[in-house]
Amino acid sequence: MARYGMVMDVTSCLGCRACMAACSQWNQTPFWAEDFKGKWRTRVTELEEGKFPETHKVFFPTICMHCENPPCHSVCPTGATYINKDGIVLIDYDLCLGCGYCIEACPYDARYEYEKEDLEKDEFYFGEDARHHQVHVDKCTFCVDRLAEGIEPSCAATCVGHARIFGDLDDPNSEVAKLVNSGKAKPLSPYLGVHPKVYYIK
Amino acid sequence: MDLVQQTLWGWNIAIYLFLGGLGGATVALAILGELRFNMGKWFGIIVSILGMAILAFGLIFLIIDLINPFRFLLAFWIKGIGHSWIARGMIVITGVFIFGPLYALATFFDWPRFKKWMGYIAMFCGFGVTTYTGLLLNANVGIPFWHTPALPVLFTVSAFSTGCALIMLILAAMKSEEAHHFFHFIEGFDIFLISLELLLIFAYFDFARLGNAAVMKSAHLLLNNPLFTIGFVILGLVSPLILEAYASTKEHSKGLAAFASVLVLIGGFLLRYLIVWAGVFQYPHGIAG
Ligand code: SF4
Ligand code: SF4
Repeated sequence: MARYGMVMDVTSCLGCRACMAACSQWNQTPFWAEDFKGKWRTRVTELEEGKFPETHKVFFPTICMHCENPPCHSVCPTGATYINKDGIVLIDYDLCLGCGYCIEACPYDARYEYEKEDLEKDEFYFGEDARHHQVHVDKCTFCVDRLAEGIEPSCAATCVGHARIFGDLDDPNSEVAKLVNSGKAKPLSPYLGVHPKVYYIK
Repeated sequence: MDLVQQTLWGWNIAIYLFLGGLGGATVALAILGELRFNMGKWFGIIVSILGMAILAFGLIFLIIDLINPFRFLLAFWIKGIGHSWIARGMIVITGVFIFGPLYALATFFDWPRFKKWMGYIAMFCGFGVTTYTGLLLNANVGIPFWHTPALPVLFTVSAFSTGCALIMLILAAMKSEEAHHFFHFIEGFDIFLISLELLLIFAYFDFARLGNAAVMKSAHLLLNNPLFTIGFVILGLVSPLILEAYASTKEHSKGLAAFASVLVLIGGFLLRYLIVWAGVFQYPHGIAG
């Protein structure tokens, strides 16, 4: 049993979006969708910080925060959204009704609909290896399938700037635990009370 | 903070919330009329079945809003009963469809004790449906305008007000002494409900005035939308309140009250639609992109 979490070091993100590419390939998420902001398990947005003329660009990576008190889980009627023994918030596709309640409930915009058109595209691009066979709501899984084989989530593994640090928050010697325990990395909107397990160094 | 107006839920959900509330309240009020106001067995049977039909019709809109409507039956896989308002809603809706027909059957065959029990349970389930439509939106923590305890109260009051409106429309066409008596009771009840609704709307905006950015944005969207100010507040609340209050002082004014009922029904739908439309997410800066 672990308590997996991630630290996003915004100061070292280059904005190359290799993570988005790696994730969408590994998890076969709808990179073909028209809306570039829409259907990704992880996104890197571009922000402008500071006041003119002293402005600079910041790249801001986001994913599902794998909240410890996740509202997406509390609203799910069928139990499709569940929390596994390692604290990862997952969706059982066979049980997902597609009501979208969880999409509305998530305060971090982490979920999207994997629709019929997406299934067709998935099959078109991946053929026999297609991993999505029914419509469902989709989001980041911390790549549970990779974790089971002892490898890191694909976004963290591919990150050029070491901006994504993945590990077990319960293991005091892990890099994530050190960053979080020292107070250097902080969660987003802590006042919501959902206790995200993704932390940010800004 | 990034403020983003939600777009996932639209007309279908609003129609569902409206018809669900209306249907639930109609079932409860129909049984009340029969059990407590001597409205006779046919009133109880027909109007409660009408309420169930409205609820069933509303469910169709919920189903077509699913990404795959054929998976609807999974909604009965209520594993989320401990925490999800859709799952709990399915229970009370199922309750209406079990105890409502049992009540109608018992009324038809005149089994007084059984009828009473089934009637009260069906009323309770009908009440549950009106309440849960508000609690459903309430659970979305990312949308502060919905995430307030006032919303379920507002929706429940509005649902009963639309239920009263429908019952008044039916009673206006009836001639009996009992119908007359029940009509006046419902009219008075509706005046009370509309007044309460006005108070709640006022409280809502007074709260929004000092609220956070997302709440203010929602309030701003509504106040700048004539469908809300003129459509809902003036035509759907204030006008029927004045009309019903006036009608209640006159002897032969059922026509006026019936007209007010139509306004209440339109207002009830507009309220659901606009509250859903005005849901604004408050994302931490950087999330919405
Ligand atoms: S970030 Fe959203 S989807 Fe992820 S666990 Fe939290 S509430 Fe659920
Ligand atoms: S869309 Fe699926 S995962 Fe989300 S709340 Fe509905 S059933 Fe649960």
